[in-house]
Amino acid sequence: MMVAAIPVIPLLAALAVLLFRHPTPARLITAAGGLATLLLSIDLAQQVTHRVDLVVLPGWVGVNGLSALILVLQGFVAMTATIYSWGYMKHQARAGEARERRYYLNLNLFLSSLFLVPIFLQPALTWVAVELTTVLSVFLVSFDSTPQALEAAWKYAIITIMGATVAVLGIFLLLWGLSLAHVAVQTWASLKATAPLMPPLLLKLAFVLILIGFGTKVGIVPMHTWLPDAHSQAPSSVCALLSGIEVSTILYVIMRLWPVFAWIPGSFAQHWALAFGLLSVGVAAFLMIQVHDFKRLFAFSTVEQMGIVLVALGLGPAGGYASLYQVLTHAVTKSLAFYSAGAVLLTTGTRDIASVKGLIRVSPVSAMSLLFSGLAIAGAPPFAIFLSELSIFRSTWQTGHILVLVLLLGFLTVAFLGVLLKVNRMVFGQSHHRPVSLPLTIRFALLVGWLPVLVFGVYLPRPMHHLLTLAALTLRR
Amino acid sequence: MSTPFLDHILTNINSLLGALFLLSAFVLMVARQVQGFLRGFVRQSLLLALSALVLGWLQQSPELVIVALITLAAKTLIIPNLLVRTLQPQIRSRREVDFVVNTPVSLLVAIGISVLSYFFVVPLLAGASPSVSVNLPVGLDVLLIGVYTLAIRREAVPQVLAIMAIDNGAFYAGIAITSSSAIVELAAGLEGVIVVLVVAILTRTLAENVGTTQVGAMATLKEGDKP
Repeated sequence: MMVAAIPVIPLLAALAVLLFRHPTPARLITAAGGLATLLLSIDLAQQVTHRVDLVVLPGWVGVNGLSALILVLQGFVAMTATIYSWGYMKHQARAGEARERRYYLNLNLFLSSLFLVPIFLQPALTWVAVELTTVLSVFLVSFDSTPQALEAAWKYAIITIMGATVAVLGIFLLLWGLSLAHVAVQTWASLKATAPLMPPLLLKLAFVLILIGFGTKVGIVPMHTWLPDAHSQAPSSVCALLSGIEVSTILYVIMRLWPVFAWIPGSFAQHWALAFGLLSVGVAAFLMIQVHDFKRLFAFSTVEQMGIVLVALGLGPAGGYASLYQVLTHAVTKSLAFYSAGAVLLTTGTRDIASVKGLIRVSPVSAMSLLFSGLAIAGAPPFAIFLSELSIFRSTWQTGHILVLVLLLGFLTVAFLGVLLKVNRMVFGQSHHRPVSLPLTIRFALLVGWLPVLVFGVYLPRPMHHLLTLAALTLRR
Repeated sequence: MSTPFLDHILTNINSLLGALFLLSAFVLMVARQVQGFLRGFVRQSLLLALSALVLGWLQQSPELVIVALITLAAKTLIIPNLLVRTLQPQIRSRREVDFVVNTPVSLLVAIGISVLSYFFVVPLLAGASPSVSVNLPVGLDVLLIGVYTLAIRREAVPQVLAIMAIDNGAFYAGIAITSSSAIVELAAGLEGVIVVLVVAILTRTLAENVGTTQVGAMATLKEGDKP
């Protein structure tokens, strides 16, 4: 029953927010809800590592290693984001009490839809949940109501809903494959079992539709155009959720179908993943050099990171563990990067990189956090992403994809320089900003956010390794 | 109840509906008036519902009849009403004078898409029932033309309706090839309504705050110039 409780908690929190006029209970309830979902998902993941699969409602609701991993990451980012929201929304100049309540209502509804995605056992229902994550986050992206925010929300809604609608035909085709083989149960498991019996052309068509459709929402180049806009215009707490975990949640749907597509002859799916992955990493790396907005910098880094995960998926079974490792480290690091960026935005009041100078003199906490989270997201040691990228390089080497390795290393170097130059310019130098003290909740969220980035940079705790191994097994056909 | 003769007639009726459905995608692609686009969308959804009814009879499937009813309720009644209620008359009566691509070129592109998508799925149709042979290629084709229509539009409301037309294409193929449970269809129908509601509110906010619903003209967010 606990599985079903996870999406219900934010839903109840949303209802509770409606009951109170003052924003303080809304902040408290939302943060408590975030913490509760994290604890529940950790407990769930522990149960899964003992029992492999956890089915609550046969054919409808259940969790395996991969979905448990996604749930834990969602729970973690939800917890930090809800605490961060407290101080962030309070200090947003134009907030106001009514607007703040509306923010918490929307945030909780969005979280609820996000938690729904990994728990369904039927692809069609998962698709419905994915659509819900979009429509329930549109008003979070447009929250600032500036022309730019509305433009970003519009692109976000139209392009990603279009993508999901294209993906639905892919899902219908897979279900047709099931009915051709006279299988009545329409779950992930039955798809995996029936895939060898389906015509390869049907699988190919379904794969292309699903990769392009859901790939639009993952931010894979060339369907990424909406991502830097939406992921930079939203309030920073929402950016952390969108960039840190929402994209990975949608990628989870493609991963869930990976054992099905692995049956397409000639490693068709792997080649497409490698091509799209490298394209995303390359394009994002070069765009990162050109940005003027530091939130857009981190948004492009999301496109880059999703490309890396896709490359690892394209390596076949050897890259499975590494790709999930990257999903894990990206979720904790990217959410932290956006919390740091939000702290800088609160301190300076601008997103323009050139207007921010000498941050270290006015707000040492946000300056240090921005500098080191920039280094962490770019893949420098001793932070989490360094280790996961290393394991991807190792898999690339072992599977003999030398050209892929060379290209990947080249693009990552470009991206590294891009991040470092921009962040360096903001942190050091003479300052003209007034010193600002960050709210306590933001400092706390930064502290909690830093823990996994530092710990996973040194070693991977055994239970986490166990969960990753279990999740990687579900990627195999 | 069901005789071979009646089945034969209904199969032919379904083929006719398929032809009209494909035609409706072309009509949507070239419609200039926002109102006209809305009417075209309602007609297309009606064809989808009719096809679901015919297939429901042919396959003796009560679920497809439910799908037809959901489509009728959501796409021919609720969604058009929502748009009319949320948006001021001046948005609805807008005319798109300039498409991104002109009409003759678009028609050629759409014909190209039709031919290509047909030849792509032909190998899948060997041994399939006559209704699948009509609905799968036509559905894929309407979906792709819908994506193209979305890409060449600059006005907010036609963009939303183009998405719902893509949805129509996917479901047109879906009703023939899957026996998906009615609950999923119900959820998807409800989803469509929420999507349109959310996007309609966004359109209204755009009209109020930015002063235009010409979404194609919005391009302040990009690399290169200073924000």
